[in-house]
Amino acid sequence: MTDAIETRQDPADDVVPVAERGPGTLRLLLRNPVSLVGSVVLLVVVLAALVGPWIAPYGVNDTDVSRALQGPSGAHWFGTDDLGRDVFSRVLVASRVSVEVALVSVGIALVVGVGVGLVSGYLGGITDGVLMRVVDVVFAFPVLLLALAIVAVLGPGLTSAMIAIGVVYTPIFARVARASTLSVRSEPYVQASRTMGTGNTYVVWHHVLPNISGPVIVQTSLSLAFAILSEAALSFLGLGVQPPRPSWGRMLFDAQDFVGVAWWLSVFPGAAILLTTLAFNLVGDGLGQVLDPKRRTQLAAQAGGR
Amino acid sequence: MSTTSQRRSRRTRRLLALGAATLLAAGLAACSSGKSVDLGDAGDSGDTSQGITVAIAGEPDQLDPHKTTSYFSFEVLENVYDTLVEPDENLQMQPSLAESWDVSKDQLTWTFHLRQGVMFQDGTPMTAKDVVYSFDRIIDDKLATAYRFSAVKDIKALDDDTVEIDVTAPSPNLLSSIGGFKGVAIVEKKNVTSGDITTHPVGTGPYELTDFTSGDHIDLEANPDYWGGAPSIPSIRYRFISEGSTAVAALKAGEIQWTDSIPPQQVKALQGDDSVDIDVVPSNDYWYLALNEKRKPFDDVRVRQAIAYAIDRDAIAQVTSYGTAKVNELAIPEESAWYTAYDTYSKDDDKAEQLLDEAGVKNLTMELMVSSDYPETVKAAQVIADELADVGITLKIRSLDFGTWLDEQNKGNFDMLYMGWLGNIDPDDYYYSQHHTGGSSNAQGYSNAEVDTLLDEGRTTTDETERKEIYAKAATQIADDASYIYLYNPSVIQAYSPDLSGYTVRSDRAIRWVDASMG
Repeated sequence: MTDAIETRQDPADDVVPVAERGPGTLRLLLRNPVSLVGSVVLLVVVLAALVGPWIAPYGVNDTDVSRALQGPSGAHWFGTDDLGRDVFSRVLVASRVSVEVALVSVGIALVVGVGVGLVSGYLGGITDGVLMRVVDVVFAFPVLLLALAIVAVLGPGLTSAMIAIGVVYTPIFARVARASTLSVRSEPYVQASRTMGTGNTYVVWHHVLPNISGPVIVQTSLSLAFAILSEAALSFLGLGVQPPRPSWGRMLFDAQDFVGVAWWLSVFPGAAILLTTLAFNLVGDGLGQVLDPKRRTQLAAQAGGR
Repeated sequence: MSTTSQRRSRRTRRLLALGAATLLAAGLAACSSGKSVDLGDAGDSGDTSQGITVAIAGEPDQLDPHKTTSYFSFEVLENVYDTLVEPDENLQMQPSLAESWDVSKDQLTWTFHLRQGVMFQDGTPMTAKDVVYSFDRIIDDKLATAYRFSAVKDIKALDDDTVEIDVTAPSPNLLSSIGGFKGVAIVEKKNVTSGDITTHPVGTGPYELTDFTSGDHIDLEANPDYWGGAPSIPSIRYRFISEGSTAVAALKAGEIQWTDSIPPQQVKALQGDDSVDIDVVPSNDYWYLALNEKRKPFDDVRVRQAIAYAIDRDAIAQVTSYGTAKVNELAIPEESAWYTAYDTYSKDDDKAEQLLDEAGVKNLTMELMVSSDYPETVKAAQVIADELADVGITLKIRSLDFGTWLDEQNKGNFDMLYMGWLGNIDPDDYYYSQHHTGGSSNAQGYSNAEVDTLLDEGRTTTDETERKEIYAKAATQIADDASYIYLYNPSVIQAYSPDLSGYTVRSDRAIRWVDASMG
């Protein structure tokens, strides 16, 4: 609990009026070349996820044994797999699964985690103690091990994978939200609002939540990267997306038998995972700088006195 | 009926193969270190007089032939034990410990005359008492192979060299039941009661087991007093190498002289490699699809036939076995004496659609149950799904671990399933329990009075030609009704040093060193 108080910043820095944050944030973010690259890659991935099935040159499940295990060529950019399916189409369409799992599972973690963190941090006392100890228990398990256990109980499949990943990332959001809430709770404007007799719900919704959004947004971006990795890991172990639906992790699993024979089976899905998670991380870092009031002031100053 | 145990052993092997797959990268790194280039002829540097080292894909769980169900155990025990009779390369039963046998006129009493002067490897003579003890042990303790003795009423020793077996009904397949593989071997009572049999079995076979170091190796030494004459190779060391690429690299480097731990996708490359001999022999195993006839619309024979027409067996065999399997629309392979030619089905989407129309089935959505413990079934399922989509059937794939898979099969919770049966010899093994009304493995719920009559007749008919006709008729009817949609017979794949001679790769996967020699 003390750690949260220590992170409390000078009120003057902390109170960034929400309305003014909107237009500048994106521009500041894109001014950073690293974040810009990350954002572009992300945009491509999201586009692929949205329209992939319509622009894929071949059906993802169209098998044709006669064209199995062909290397990359003009007809098959990423080659074909052992069933004669087009690897490019499968990598493209698999982006939807990854993005879908990432969004839904981080959505779960975000809603539950931030909810717990807000209540815990704002109410304090016994509620805080009980909630945070529960969070500690969940947090104590290695992420993938807990996810495996949850999928083992729920049975393999896309839905179980989403729930499992959502559950394991919940404690992180709870901690981030609680720490920020603790510092915001004692701000003069919150105190003032409470003195005026405003209800708890109103205070949390209108004063606390907007002011803890920075760290939460950064955490969301980073968690999306980890969620994609976790989905790939679960699918690799046969517990996530079930065949024939394409998934990067599952494609890597299937590629194992052909490591020496057909490098393209493992390289392209592997590269897709790498690029996507890297992009989420870069954007996350960029957002972290832009949304941190101190760093933001510096950045704005460098950018020409904004 | 023969095969829950066989399946389990297969499963163990597969699981090991699966675990090993994750080590593939490491294995490849090992063989790219240049070892295989210059060590290719290091193998004949004097090893030849000292015996050979062979690699099997996993370690035996135990060495009690009556209790183990693991194929790894039998790869070793094949050479340690003998059976009363044994299958030759064509799977015809031949004399072994029994030199000859008579059958009574009513077919209910079999008398076996034992070979004289046979000794266990510890010097104790083998007598009729040991035969009775071995068979009674299997039956009384309900051990893994007890089902093979279901027709046996009584076993008694008439004297030291004569054993009489009484059966409840004429049993033309009795010989393959009591001698088909080493799971029905003749064991020594002393060895069993002392408990040593699980690690140091004592048999009457051509090789004696001298050392079993768990996690490392098993050593066999030639039995100089073997009744069939001492074998030529003086000793054999079994190593356990589950990673196929590693085993193949060791073979090329001359560290081992034989292995069956071979990734099927490497077979082609090995066939073009002069430093290694590789044999691909069609086996008695078969893989099939079965539709749950207790569910609609699969109770309609036309729907089942439509699916049989919609699939491309060649493509399935290709993705599962890389051209090492042989497509077959019945269970029994061409090499068997019981083979029946049959080729009604072929990939024909028009015919399939027409059959579905006649049956009034539209927009069918169904599930195919496969097992993740057999990765090739998951692969094939994706091909099948694509092919069924061409005739308007949406196929969902349900991939389960094998334990759950068996459970679901037994409960009848499936639309269609994909699996294989292994280790069959007699046609009764292939058809009875799978297709007889209420048969113990008839999970698909097939019932045809005509087939029932034929299968019952086949069990008690002793005339070979007549029996063959009966099974040909039954098998054809079963395939016509698409009780099983037969796909292919996989192969036994073994690679060995060109210096090894006299060794035969057998379709029943028995590994016998007795006639082999090096040099």
